[in-house]
Amino acid sequence: MKQPLTLNINGESRLLLVEPFYSLLDCLRDDASLTGSKKGCDEGDCGACTVLMDGKPVTSCLVLAHSAHGSEITTIEGLADVDGLSPVQRAFVEHGGLQCGFCIPGLIMSATGFLQDNPDPTEEDVRFAIGGNLCRCTGYSRVIDAIMAAAAEMRASA
Amino acid sequence: MTTTTQFKVLEQNHPRVDAYEKVTGRATYASDVYLPGMLACKLLPSTRNHARIVSIDTSAAAALPGVRCVITGTDFPDIRFGSGALRDRYVMPREVVNFVGEPVAAVAADDEATAQEAIDLIKVEYEDIPSVVNPLAAMGEGAASVHPDLESYEGYGFTLGHNVSTLLDADRGDVEQAFRDADVVVEDVYRSQGINQGFLEPMACVADVEPSGRLVIYASTQGPYQIRAGLAAVLEIPVSRIRVVPMELGGGFGAKLRLAFEAFPALLAMRTGRPVKLVNTREEVFTMNGPRLPVTNYIRSGVMNDGTIVAREAYTIFDVGAYLGAGPNSGIGHGIGAYRIPNFRLRSYGVYTNKIYVGSYRASGVADMTFAVESHMDHIAHQIGMDAYDLRLHNALREGDVSVSGAVVPSNGLIETLEAIKEKIDWPRQLEDGHGLGLALCEWRSGSGPSTAAISVNDDGTVSLLTGSTDISGSDTSLAAIAAEALGIPMGSVVVAKRDTDMAPYTGQSGGSRVVYSQGTAVQRAAEETVQKLIALAAERLGVPEDALGCEDGRVYVMDNEPQGLTFAQLAAASITSRGGPIIGTASLSSMPYTPVFAAQAAEVKVDRGTGQVKVLRYIQAQDVGVAINPMAVEGQLDGGVVQGIGRALTEDQQFDPDTGAVRNPSFASYLMPLAIDLPESEVVLIKVPAEDGPFGARAVAEPPGFGPPAAIANAVYDAVGVRVKQLPLSGERVLAALNGDYDDIPFDVEALRLAEGII
Amino acid sequence: MARFDYLEPHSVDEALQMLAEHGDKTRLVAGSTDFLVRWRTGVWRPESVVCMQHVPGLDYINWNPDDGLSIGAMASVQDIELNTEVRSRYPALAAGATSFAGVQVRNLATVAGNICNASPAGDTLPALLAYNAQCRIIGPSGERSLPLDELFVGPGRTALAAGEILTEIRLPPPAPNTGGLYIKHSPRGAMDISAVGVASVVSLNDDGTCASARIALGSVAPTPLRAYGAEGRLVSQTPDAANIAEAARLASQSCNPIADVRSGADYRREMVRVLTERTLQHGVATAGDTPSFDDIRRLAVQTAW
Repeated sequence: MKQPLTLNINGESRLLLVEPFYSLLDCLRDDASLTGSKKGCDEGDCGACTVLMDGKPVTSCLVLAHSAHGSEITTIEGLADVDGLSPVQRAFVEHGGLQCGFCIPGLIMSATGFLQDNPDPTEEDVRFAIGGNLCRCTGYSRVIDAIMAAAAEMRASA
Repeated sequence: MTTTTQFKVLEQNHPRVDAYEKVTGRATYASDVYLPGMLACKLLPSTRNHARIVSIDTSAAAALPGVRCVITGTDFPDIRFGSGALRDRYVMPREVVNFVGEPVAAVAADDEATAQEAIDLIKVEYEDIPSVVNPLAAMGEGAASVHPDLESYEGYGFTLGHNVSTLLDADRGDVEQAFRDADVVVEDVYRSQGINQGFLEPMACVADVEPSGRLVIYASTQGPYQIRAGLAAVLEIPVSRIRVVPMELGGGFGAKLRLAFEAFPALLAMRTGRPVKLVNTREEVFTMNGPRLPVTNYIRSGVMNDGTIVAREAYTIFDVGAYLGAGPNSGIGHGIGAYRIPNFRLRSYGVYTNKIYVGSYRASGVADMTFAVESHMDHIAHQIGMDAYDLRLHNALREGDVSVSGAVVPSNGLIETLEAIKEKIDWPRQLEDGHGLGLALCEWRSGSGPSTAAISVNDDGTVSLLTGSTDISGSDTSLAAIAAEALGIPMGSVVVAKRDTDMAPYTGQSGGSRVVYSQGTAVQRAAEETVQKLIALAAERLGVPEDALGCEDGRVYVMDNEPQGLTFAQLAAASITSRGGPIIGTASLSSMPYTPVFAAQAAEVKVDRGTGQVKVLRYIQAQDVGVAINPMAVEGQLDGGVVQGIGRALTEDQQFDPDTGAVRNPSFASYLMPLAIDLPESEVVLIKVPAEDGPFGARAVAEPPGFGPPAAIANAVYDAVGVRVKQLPLSGERVLAALNGDYDDIPFDVEALRLAEGII
Repeated sequence: MARFDYLEPHSVDEALQMLAEHGDKTRLVAGSTDFLVRWRTGVWRPESVVCMQHVPGLDYINWNPDDGLSIGAMASVQDIELNTEVRSRYPALAAGATSFAGVQVRNLATVAGNICNASPAGDTLPALLAYNAQCRIIGPSGERSLPLDELFVGPGRTALAAGEILTEIRLPPPAPNTGGLYIKHSPRGAMDISAVGVASVVSLNDDGTCASARIALGSVAPTPLRAYGAEGRLVSQTPDAANIAEAARLASQSCNPIADVRSGADYRREMVRVLTERTLQHGVATAGDTPSFDDIRRLAVQTAW
């Protein structure tokens, strides 16, 4: 039976009714109406459901929804504000780091979490950081360009 | 090799028109559709690969609280349909299942968990029928029949051999004499593996019934009109009673060209009167929706000592699984590669087996053919002691030659792609032990098919572009760029309309390198008609003849008095009260002339002699794109295509149980697509020899990048360690076995096939 | 599809009570990464889960020269990978951690969970075995300690009794002049289940001979296992090419791999030989050094050397 659950999502406290066996991903999509996080495999193998929990990228399909209370959850919907896109989002647009776009919320969340702790990465660091994200369209080249560019921009404006 | 044409929009990078939606998570895919009162659909897969359905007991499932409807095959009209040329299947089996995973029942319930619980309660009694899994065995007379009534199916043509759905042939010249005349004959058998398309968005759709009774399908599809037609056929309702809304497409690569599972939620929605959503699990994607199946290729060439290839014989066996999806056309279409070979005999067989049916994937079968043909080219080169690059250059198709289909080859950049690759990878070059270089030449043609476009001018001078094509890999952005270029307005002044099958004119599927080339031509022509109408209206208002007017930068002006003119906005406003009415330009076309696409590719690899593993250190591709509509998107296509090809070469391997045909590795943890860590930097050279047809000289782009890697990498492995691996993928295990000398050639009884046809 | 209830203890004692109350109808989960995958595929069908996420004070990684390394049950695999003491003193464990899935899963999965799920392919397990890990276990009848080597009973099966919880893993301090590495054999650089994994840890005497050698193998038997015979071949010997090659040959003979979609059995056995040789060579060459993590990361999942 669904049980009440209070989650902190994108800076807002949300009171939801959630099945005890739901993953955080199912909860975000079905109960919180945040469909930006994608279910590509539901097995932790593709990274399309990546969100930040307390700043760390996690596959939300492998988190028990009810265990996520007390954490700050950031989804793709929480990155842009009324002033516009985040530096990582902007770089993906400008560098053509997306095609079908299904993996992109996960990639952007992985990159966002990574750059918070690693402001000056090498290209190899970036390749390892997105090692848990599958993309079938882009071949990753422009994704990596975008993340490197976002890192440079964030350093310049820091 | 750049064009001299000065473009204002084309040949410049443009961010995608849908980029903002996609980076913010706002883009709406079919699985993101949530409707009030929506039910969840789950499917019951067959556990047998060939069996009669004795009974299906759905009573316990139907009685479960929260379950609203259960359907099985007999709930659908008794109508066969086809995923390909043959009507060889039911949308849900009525009496016989033909592969493990085939859906035999569907449930709609209040939520997914309940629907799955209901599925688990359905009891099916099967009675096994003899089955066959290996296509070469299936062709033998003693083998079990997958479709005993094959000859009665609509669409069945002439074939030879048991379980053969299709036999295609292509012949030219005197093949036997040419082989007798040849100095050297080289013969090989290659085998390429099953491949999953690997799109990240699982198949999904939502079906709803409007109060009027019309069916609405929100689909993840490359072919909304094809879904509409397919649904109309299997549900026996008129096309006009169905509206298909293509949602954002999360990758398709051919897998989402046709009707898939939409009929299940559709019938459930019709039965319950409520919206029904079906989202496949990843395991269902792997086990229910057609992948590419293994291809076996016998190939033989007659060669003169100077390297001239005078004869080619190729027999290709395509495993089509339980049902014919994509046909074996590439077996004859690509059996001679990008070369002028005057005498050939090409045969291509589609063979039924009791495993998941074959689907389409990024120029179905051409990558398999390219692996065989381009590996074979290197084998020829080594046999006659000729450089592999020189052999390719010597035999390469040139303008005026006749292609395998009989079309005359128009101007193209094939030679330029080869030269670019040679320079960029510095061929030939001596490398350290365990390192090697390999080449592959890829050929394809720009896709054709029904294409339509409509452009209307808005009263602020912008235009709205309406086409029926689903966006695929940025095609909306490219179509907008073509419209902008043809109209002489900036990209930002083109609004690309969201569409559905009610709204947009009929168009072919988004696939086969078709959209930008064919659909783009329709857009260009619609834009030209729009310009004509704007000029006509301006002529009327300005009182000057039409031929005195020019059109540039969103304005029609008098050529010898430039300040005199009218902007598009002024013309649009004027048009509303004009005799001709609001301005709209349209175009419609069906077929386009033969326009080849060539690409040359080179790999530099390192082979680990301890583990047999192969690492790609560099991968370079040069492709003749004609004109780069949106270079960023073109390069993105080439980057992504090559990576799919590298996966095909090294790690991807859809495996099937040899007894049951069941998919053995139905997950992303066991079907291994490349990750960022595994790849070298992308190196791309765009060659630009404008096409004689196509929008502004553009050629198709998307397919060839993925053709070359298996052969280029296999050739590089040979260069590195001196072993030729003829089976894909080039796994560590396979390469190490070859290094140890225990590598078995693939058995292939070509004599039997020749004899069956009366060729001695 | 089996629905389950969610139980959330806030102390180890409360968790023990919940386990006692619900018996074998419940399942203890830490990071829940393995659990949710196996639940969805129907392998595990508990009526409830006892989720350890909100039990405070278990996510530590402590180092001191006397006791070595202590890893709390809720320390994540990513915590291990990032820990500077692990990187410098237990490089094979750092390699095992970095080769584990992808960052997003490493942030959730725990080392303790990896141990308790007892997959022969668990990526942290060979290194933990090679560092002589000890398990601290708390149960209804008190606390006990068990060498990790004795914990694995079969695929997915451990010597943990009903109602017991693994609360801490301890690695003794490495001897001076120790080097080690874990190499995961996989076609891909991440997100893969190892076809073979080998961890070797070598300690050298002042005269260059081997004081100790510990070799542990993953994915080649029903459980991760130590290659004692191969280890014995090196002790007191000079770890030269011939001795290492002989030890590697013995290691490959000591395993019992199966064939599956990833690989054939003979190939797996041969990979044990090759990777044992390479990890030993690396361990000897870097004994006493502080290896760079960039090197560890590259070597841990190297698709071709």
